[in-house]
Amino acid sequence: MSMTGSSTFAKRRDRRDFLKKSAGAVALATFGIARNAFAAEPVNIGGLYPVTGNFAQIGQGCVNAAKLAVQMVNDAGGIKSLGGAKLNLIVSDVQSDTTVTRTETDRLISGYKLSAIHGCFASALTLIASEVAERAKMPLLTGSSSDQLNKDRHYTFTPFSRASQFALAQLQMSKLVSESPKVAVIFENTAFGTSTSNGLREQAPGQGVEIVMFEPYSAGLTDAGPLINKVKASGANMLFPVSYLNDLILIIRAIKQSGVQIAINGGSGGFVIPDFYKNVGGVAEGLLGVAHWNHDVNADAQKVNEVYKQQYGEFLFEYAGGLVAQTFMIADALERAASTDPQKVRDALSTLDVSSGYAAMGPGGKVRFGPDGKNVYAHPVGVQWQHADLAAVFPKDDARAPLMKI
Amino acid sequence: MLTTIAQAVVNGLLIGGIYALVSIGVTLIFGVVKIVNFAQGEFVMIGMYISFFLATSFGIDPLVSLVISMPVLFIVGVLLQHFLLRRVLALGDMPQIFLTFALSLLLVNVALLLFTANYRTVQTSYSETAVHLGEIYVPMAKLIAFAVAMVLSGLLWLFLHTTDLGKAMRAAAQNRDVAMLMGINPDRVFCVAVGVSLALAGAAGSLLMPFYPAYPLVGQVFVLMAFVAVVLGTLGNVTGALIASLMMGVAESLGIQFVGADSGLIVVFAMLLLTLAFRPNGLFGGWSR
Repeated sequence: MSMTGSSTFAKRRDRRDFLKKSAGAVALATFGIARNAFAAEPVNIGGLYPVTGNFAQIGQGCVNAAKLAVQMVNDAGGIKSLGGAKLNLIVSDVQSDTTVTRTETDRLISGYKLSAIHGCFASALTLIASEVAERAKMPLLTGSSSDQLNKDRHYTFTPFSRASQFALAQLQMSKLVSESPKVAVIFENTAFGTSTSNGLREQAPGQGVEIVMFEPYSAGLTDAGPLINKVKASGANMLFPVSYLNDLILIIRAIKQSGVQIAINGGSGGFVIPDFYKNVGGVAEGLLGVAHWNHDVNADAQKVNEVYKQQYGEFLFEYAGGLVAQTFMIADALERAASTDPQKVRDALSTLDVSSGYAAMGPGGKVRFGPDGKNVYAHPVGVQWQHADLAAVFPKDDARAPLMKI
Repeated sequence: MLTTIAQAVVNGLLIGGIYALVSIGVTLIFGVVKIVNFAQGEFVMIGMYISFFLATSFGIDPLVSLVISMPVLFIVGVLLQHFLLRRVLALGDMPQIFLTFALSLLLVNVALLLFTANYRTVQTSYSETAVHLGEIYVPMAKLIAFAVAMVLSGLLWLFLHTTDLGKAMRAAAQNRDVAMLMGINPDRVFCVAVGVSLALAGAAGSLLMPFYPAYPLVGQVFVLMAFVAVVLGTLGNVTGALIASLMMGVAESLGIQFVGADSGLIVVFAMLLLTLAFRPNGLFGGWSR
């Protein structure tokens, strides 16, 4: 009895064992399948930014924003048409150097299975990366403003305003300050300085803006006093300095010291980043600039800005904010392409048409690319330093704060 | 027009005062130790960073931090002479040039590593203020820098002319062997000379900080002007370097005003070439100090 008892017990145990195991196996199998579907292959996106060298500070901010954007896409469920695939950002340091940019872009494209790239902040670097991406048939999104990026390219997409539009906006903004603007343009005698200032000079007559002084100077000033003395003598009521941060700091301080009453529009780039205010301090209040994106343009932008601010302690600057939008454009393209193939992503980008959500949170509020890769709705926004923050003040439709009189 | 010229001259003199502090340091080392210190600008940079960190960490005004940056750099100078420069004194020009040039590269790159390439500024209550005299304005920070630079130059002159150590320094500069025969210890004199030079560079750094951003390459901006001033004012001549620096500041400022904003340096270099053509030993040839 005990024997049979024990044997039945044993049998029963065997059966239970079997059931348990098979159930486990089935469960494991089904769970495994489910897990597989859930964790679809991540989609690799390349980010090319200068995190060392001259542009390091800005480059690091871009990387921070790019990471934040990827996390936002992933938290919202990833790419649904790819089974909820997560975005995976692969960052490469282009070191503020054109040669490094070329090799790094090559390395990134050949080393990883990428679906798209974004980069590189500085136009000089982006032009190189875009050439490499073009040859590799890899879609590249960029906030860089050089009009060159829209020539003979099929894989480069520029969702934000172009350099030529910046100059126009800057000239139009001078009307905010005076009915008859008399502008002094001082520019560093480099490629950047000459091309930007020539753009201003060419478009000035059409905008009814008189240029009373047009003066190159040697970049790397020891003293801006003599230059400002000259501006003072020109009788200008508006100054456009086309300079990098160091000279800009000296120029603005010299103007303050001289007591010259003149409005300043510093353009974009280094002028519209938190670091500028940190360096110049209260003197920056009231200064005007131009940006392709600002953190107050709409509710979505403000939301992202709040998150970024909490994490990094400063506002989301122009380029970095645009980058968040770019990441969502890539996500939108992936969603519609339902493929990680760069060619298909490129085709989906070319038919992108968004007017809401994070992808569309720029001035103009819409994105659709023309055949040259330009966003047909893009335009720059005029900004002003107000209370240690940047406020959009131009054009009327994008203005989020009244112009502060100085 | 007159006010424009007057303003240009004022601007030139003020920045000339800073050039003077750097060039006096270079000329002093050259005059006494017979070494061209290519790293002088980097010591200005170090002076700036000392003032910057004292200002941001302890709230010490950059002008007050002069009393720290000068002694610190004096000690650095003494150590530099004792451990590095002394060893190449007998080896001729090339090793000396390589040594100070390498030092310059090393310091720039260490600064890049430690402080990154970012610009650092200090905001003081007088960074943006100016004294207005009728139509002319004199920026406060630069005025203070100029005044302190002139006082330091005057003190250096007194030191060289009235103290035994100063006289020994001049004696060693004129003829090292004879000075040694007269019982002067050249090692000690050289240490003090390099120390004083670097202390002046440190002073320049601290004085610049209220109105000029600090960054690793900042020294190169000023050292070029300093070398021109040293040659223009006759190598080794302290008073010459001072006067030449002020002249260059004014020439540069007037050049920017009347020739073109990218031609300020052209005027300076034209002045240098003309001087060298007619007075190859500089404007103050001979030992007028």
